Amino acid sequence: MNQEMKIVREVSVQAEGFYSDAESMGKHAAEALGGKRRAQMTGLENIAEGAFKTSDIFDYIKKQTARFEEWRRGYTEGDQSYGSFGLRLKDYLERNIAGRRDTICGPNILNFSNQTEEGKRERQRIYLLLIRQFIRQMVAQYEFSVKFGFGEGTGDGNRRQR
Amino acid sequence: MATDDSDNAQREQLKKLQAWQRKVQLLSDTELYPGAVSFLQKLVDEEEFSALPNSQVAGLFSVSLSPKYSDLYDFVKHQRDRNWPESKRDIKTFYTALERYLAEMHRRCLRDDFHLLEGERDTRQAANEIMVLLAREFIQHLLAENGLLALRVRPRRSR
Repeated sequence: MNQEMKIVREVSVQAEGFYSDAESMGKHAAEALGGKRRAQMTGLENIAEGAFKTSDIFDYIKKQTARFEEWRRGYTEGDQSYGSFGLRLKDYLERNIAGRRDTICGPNILNFSNQTEEGKRERQRIYLLLIRQFIRQMVAQYEFSVKFGFGEGTGDGNRRQR
Repeated sequence: MATDDSDNAQREQLKKLQAWQRKVQLLSDTELYPGAVSFLQKLVDEEEFSALPNSQVAGLFSVSLSPKYSDLYDFVKHQRDRNWPESKRDIKTFYTALERYLAEMHRRCLRDDFHLLEGERDTRQAANEIMVLLAREFIQHLLAENGLLALRVRPRRSR
């Protein structure tokens, strides 16, 4: 299997692993932003798809969080409570997704050095691929939740629109 | 003939700029972004810095887009040297630290720590051109982080 195919496979494996977290974050986004702020989610998706740097995505999340009260809303899921949506998303991408990048770029899988420029560039690319996957999954859940309600996939999509 | 030479020079300049931009994109994620986050955190921890006010954010952002590094550096020094009242101590603290950071970044650039000066005849001129790109990235990360910092400070101030 060539290297590019290996990368696609490893990113897909990781995407399966974080699917439930993306679902939870998508529900949080729906609760916090409601259906009338859809443009902010598609804006985030567009930034992630077009970014050359992960820091552009983090800066965007920080700016949205500072600017809009909706991005700072918390969320309760079962017995678990989460703080600000924006900070939760930023922390997840900077910690959990970065950890997954380190795993697949490590010596046991893709073996990309973080000492050489080429290795660093590959690690940056893989980080972007993982973030894009996560955000796509999250936005899909967001769309589903605002359309069909929260949690169980039932209810009125307009119920929580603010 | 002169036009051919000029076209070639422009093409070379463009190629060089694209190569720099590619490297700066990587440095932005690996060095400048974490550097900006820890820069502000250090000010909070060591200088009781709150956050840069919005009027300063807009001014700094605007000057960071200048194509001349000297415009940005002169602005930072000017803001640092102004006689700020005690109520605006944070502004002086911020620009004092930023001037130091940029000066150190410039020294690193001249030492070619970023590996961007290879093949350059006029390294001082090239370093200034590279600093435009590096400082712009750094300041954009700083301002995004400052937005979050301002949120943490707001409830403290309103108490």
